Amino acid sequence: MKIKVVAKILEANERIAQENRRIFDDAGVFVVNLMSAPGAGKTSLLEKTLSEKTDLKIGVIEGDIAGSDDAERIGRFGVPVIQINTGGACHLDANMINEVIKELPLNELNVVFIENVGNLVCPAEFKVGEDMKVMLLSITEGHDKPLKYPLMFQESSALLLNKIDLAPYLDVDINKIKRDALSLNPNIMIFEVSCKTGEGIADWVKWLSNKTEKG
Amino acid sequence: MLTKKKRRSFLRDRMHEVSIALDLLNIATEQCRKSGYSKIEAINLKIGRASGIMPDALIFSFDAIKKDSLADTALLNIEEVPVSGECSDCSSKFTVDEEYILSCPVCNSNSFNIISGREMDIIDMEVS
Repeated sequence: MKIKVVAKILEANERIAQENRRIFDDAGVFVVNLMSAPGAGKTSLLEKTLSEKTDLKIGVIEGDIAGSDDAERIGRFGVPVIQINTGGACHLDANMINEVIKELPLNELNVVFIENVGNLVCPAEFKVGEDMKVMLLSITEGHDKPLKYPLMFQESSALLLNKIDLAPYLDVDINKIKRDALSLNPNIMIFEVSCKTGEGIADWVKWLSNKTEKG
Repeated sequence: MLTKKKRRSFLRDRMHEVSIALDLLNIATEQCRKSGYSKIEAINLKIGRASGIMPDALIFSFDAIKKDSLADTALLNIEEVPVSGECSDCSSKFTVDEEYILSCPVCNSNSFNIISGREMDIIDMEVS
């Protein structure tokens, strides 16, 4: 006997993501799903972002396979932070966020960063309830990444090219990264930043602040 | 110790195809029960080439988790859907071999809509 199903495999995740989004929206909180490969500088970017003088009231959900190093780094800034350990899973899913959402003082915040597990593939597929995805690519990873991992570039509203201070020492073709990323996603905003020297951080934070106001 | 730090652990799945296989198994067993059947013989899926899912990894994951379920002998039949698009400038419809489209192959425009290739859908199932 054949029965019709016609269902999206990820619809359970998407339903929970929508519920998360509703909770964030009700609290007036803008949510950024921050994604990159391991070691690209997600936590460093958050540290730099938290160091800028803004009106943003930021909370952070840290996703890692194991450990709480990232949450401890963020905790030094005195902002609310929750560490999720995925126990091996290569991405955060909507349910993991749903289970910790109430532990954040949402009414005191206007931005929540969800720092995803370091990975260029899976995090792009699982919505967690974000307003936008932001991707960080360190230029040391090479200029072939947009075409090797197109989904993440297509899904992201902004691309931050980190470790730009290393450009003089590398053979990486930064224009190719930009060209390919823009071909995959003509609306993507690209920032060149260095979490070491602070270059470009002010522009990124200004753009983020404008986004959250519009949101 | 950080006073504001909270920590939560999840011990659930490993590679993302396992997460997807678990969702797939949940949907399939629920639909099978709802329809009044007790065994799933096959599940037919459409998986887009730009979905990020590797069919072999999905089958491997599904086989690992299907034991002791209504689908314990079920086969996954996966139809891979190529990436195709429609140009916003010249209205051409086209299919590509890659997992992405950079420009319209007819007029080279960068303005196009992806019309297939992102599927992760269950179409139907064989049940008894």
